[in-house]
Amino acid sequence: MGSTQDTVDDLIKAGYEHGFVINIEQDTIPPGLDEDIIRRISAKKGEPEWMLEYRLKAYRHWLTMEPPRWAHLGLPEIDFQAISYYSAPKRRGEGPKSLDEVDPELIEAYNKLGIPLEEQKALAGVAVDAVLDSVSVATTFREKLAEAGVIFCSMSEAIREYPELVQKYLGSVVPHTDNYFACLNAAVFSDGTFVYIPEGVKCPMELSTYFRINEARTGQFERTLIVAEAGSQVSYLEGCTAPMRDENQLHAAVVELVAMEDAYIKYSTVQNWYPGDEQGRGGILNFVTKRGLCKGARSRISWTQVETGSAITWKYPSCILKGDDSVGEFYSVAVTRGRQQADTGTKMIHIGRNTRSTIVSKGISAGHGQNTYRGLVRMAARAENARNHSQCDSLLIGDKCGAHTFPYIEVRNPTAQVEHEATTSKLSEDQLFYCRSRGLSEEDAVSMLVNGFCKEVFQELPMEFAVEAQKLLNLTLEGAVG
Amino acid sequence: MTQAHQAQREWLQALLQGAPAAAGPEWLARMHAAARERLEQLPPIDRKQEAWRYTGIDTLLAERFVPPPHREADLAPEERAPLEGLETWRLVFVDGRFQPHLSALEGLPEGVIVGDLRSRETHRDNLLATSVAQASGHHAHLFTALNEALADEGAFIQVPAGTRLERPIEIVHRVTDASAPWLITPRNLVLLGERAEATLIERFSGRPGTRYFHDGLTDLVLGRAARLVHYRIQDESREAWHLSSLRLDQAAESRYEGCTFAFGARWSRTEQNTVFEARGAECHLAGVYLVGEGQLCDFHLDVRHEVPECRSSERYKGVLFGKGRAVFDGRILVAKDAQRTDAHLSNNNLMLVRDAEVDTKPQLEIYADDVQCSHGTSVGQLDPQQVFYLRSRGLPEVEARRLLCLGFASDLLEAVHDEALRHHVESRIRQTLVLEGG
Repeated sequence: MGSTQDTVDDLIKAGYEHGFVINIEQDTIPPGLDEDIIRRISAKKGEPEWMLEYRLKAYRHWLTMEPPRWAHLGLPEIDFQAISYYSAPKRRGEGPKSLDEVDPELIEAYNKLGIPLEEQKALAGVAVDAVLDSVSVATTFREKLAEAGVIFCSMSEAIREYPELVQKYLGSVVPHTDNYFACLNAAVFSDGTFVYIPEGVKCPMELSTYFRINEARTGQFERTLIVAEAGSQVSYLEGCTAPMRDENQLHAAVVELVAMEDAYIKYSTVQNWYPGDEQGRGGILNFVTKRGLCKGARSRISWTQVETGSAITWKYPSCILKGDDSVGEFYSVAVTRGRQQADTGTKMIHIGRNTRSTIVSKGISAGHGQNTYRGLVRMAARAENARNHSQCDSLLIGDKCGAHTFPYIEVRNPTAQVEHEATTSKLSEDQLFYCRSRGLSEEDAVSMLVNGFCKEVFQELPMEFAVEAQKLLNLTLEGAVG
Repeated sequence: MTQAHQAQREWLQALLQGAPAAAGPEWLARMHAAARERLEQLPPIDRKQEAWRYTGIDTLLAERFVPPPHREADLAPEERAPLEGLETWRLVFVDGRFQPHLSALEGLPEGVIVGDLRSRETHRDNLLATSVAQASGHHAHLFTALNEALADEGAFIQVPAGTRLERPIEIVHRVTDASAPWLITPRNLVLLGERAEATLIERFSGRPGTRYFHDGLTDLVLGRAARLVHYRIQDESREAWHLSSLRLDQAAESRYEGCTFAFGARWSRTEQNTVFEARGAECHLAGVYLVGEGQLCDFHLDVRHEVPECRSSERYKGVLFGKGRAVFDGRILVAKDAQRTDAHLSNNNLMLVRDAEVDTKPQLEIYADDVQCSHGTSVGQLDPQQVFYLRSRGLPEVEARRLLCLGFASDLLEAVHDEALRHHVESRIRQTLVLEGG
């Protein structure tokens, strides 16, 4: 499983630059899923009894569930017994106490991905939690964050160190009964990130998790929980990559956000899992449940996502606007090319008074890609003066792709105001011609127009991420036109 | 099978057993037999199905419907009177049965056939061909199959190639008998030859207190470059259930314009399905619905563009003035080869009261890139500033609100070419909002 410079170069040419395999000894539980496996995962992580109980309860419920079929996706059969549910880099003794003890091979690998784990070199102001396959391998800037009272650590650690917080909030936004994949996650999740921002604290730096699937035939099931107490603020970034392989790999994550009074959580994702090759072989199956609860009055949750990777994306970051005057936002760019399929969107559930939500979704389809926006806006009977505006635009590049829009709007309050607009069009030939007549190459012209199309979303991303997202988009669309 | 599904089966069995064996021609018996077979195979209706997500059928299933007897019935003079200023050829059905003596069919141009399904046996092959071809269609469900399992009447209209009808054809459905819950199953067929042009008006109504389930199935077949303008006024008894399932088959360059106005029924659903299989066809669907206390009004529209260069639009507007529910599900599908498609979809709702509900789902499914497609929806209330403005000009609040509601629907009303009909619809909207809107 060596990764020479040559193969890396080949992979870059193929359009996916993170396709290499990290050469590190892994401790992997053999494939299969039953109660024993779950007990083993729990034991490996040294979890308390209540956590094991929670997992087993979820697993038993999962056995009664059917995989969802309603999405506009051609889903391959997933053999859940052929997946390994736990894989971690081999630990030396007790596991790393600080970064000095982290395997240098790992640090090197993350550097290659552009994620420096060494604090002195790290981008000022971003703390990183790096997750490789099933476990968190390193978390940076912990002391600095601790000074501000912010807890930023891996989920396994949180279960050991802050059991009362985890017990209180885990599954409170996404219960284990929520859906098939969330239920599976509840049973087998191995690690993830836990963030706790105490009352009145503005998190001093951006927090970030970097997810990486490395081992073959594994699934990644991470669980993220962010709790922002009254008046606090946090911006959280998430990025993902995986090696190139011919078989599909499963990624079923759960993200829960809880925002108390006046709290603000900004959650940004750049998802670049391996999308499979041009013929649709391999790639990550990305089934993610993300949901935020605006629990307190005037709280605000903002989701921004740039989805360029994965063979299949099934993901609906949602907001439950329970607190009065709370605000939910969803900004999304989803790109599908090759044989990629995406069924993504959001849910805005307005419960409190004067709640507001904004949805901006930009779908780009090229090649044989199929891109679906699916969204729900629900105005409950008590949602006085609630307001929603949704804008869904689709751009088609080529005549073999598809762009679909399935909005659901349910209104039970006469003072609520809901608007939904959607358009579908192809790249304007006039605009392309104009750019070309000004001397731009076809590819530059396309890239400029597509970036313009996505601008409303990109400007919501933190600066470093916006640059990366733009680069990624250009790379993804390379060769898609012509 | 769950208990609910079992109950559904039993409900159907009871209906089918209660129905007398058809005394009609042989083709009718064949249609019945085929539909009964389909009923066995079709899945039960369930809120888990996307098409029934917002539309429950429990109240329907709680009722023991019976088919109405074949008999001559009469109408009161005011029921019999045509709409003021509207001259039409008329087909009248009372309590689900065709009434030749109340119908007006004199002076039809040569070759035009307007009558009941059974009285025109010569054209049975057309019906059979169509119904069998459509039977395996995407939108068959228990109620359309039920219609075909029991239907032995319905309107049959055929306009030969090149004929342009000067007057509209009107189909009047009136229910007068409140003695039993009737199951009315008209199977209608409208055939327009090449370049034929016609206007069709359907009116559905029932005396107060009548309870019935109108389960109608209509095939509309338009020949090359034919034009059909189709108005439907659903003004059923407030205790009735109404289902209209319309299937449209359009040849090249044909044009269909359909507009439904829905006022009545406790539960109503209109399904309109179009598949474009020939170039240059156009289909424009519109509707205005008023939803009051305890009413459910559902529109399910599906337009599939399978070939290039077709145009379609769906424009629907609703006013909720009572604790009711409006459901809108519109889909435009543009297949891979359907380049240069032009398709637009809009649904706007005004919600005037508390405890009402709007569930709307405008969908675009697009597999071609050279297309112009859009959709938009909105749900909101009247602008208080506009109400204030009108009141400051001396209008009472009720009148101000009513005026604004009419203004909201005016673009769709103006699209009604026939003036007499437009007046009728407008005054019905006014009336409804006065009597119940408050």
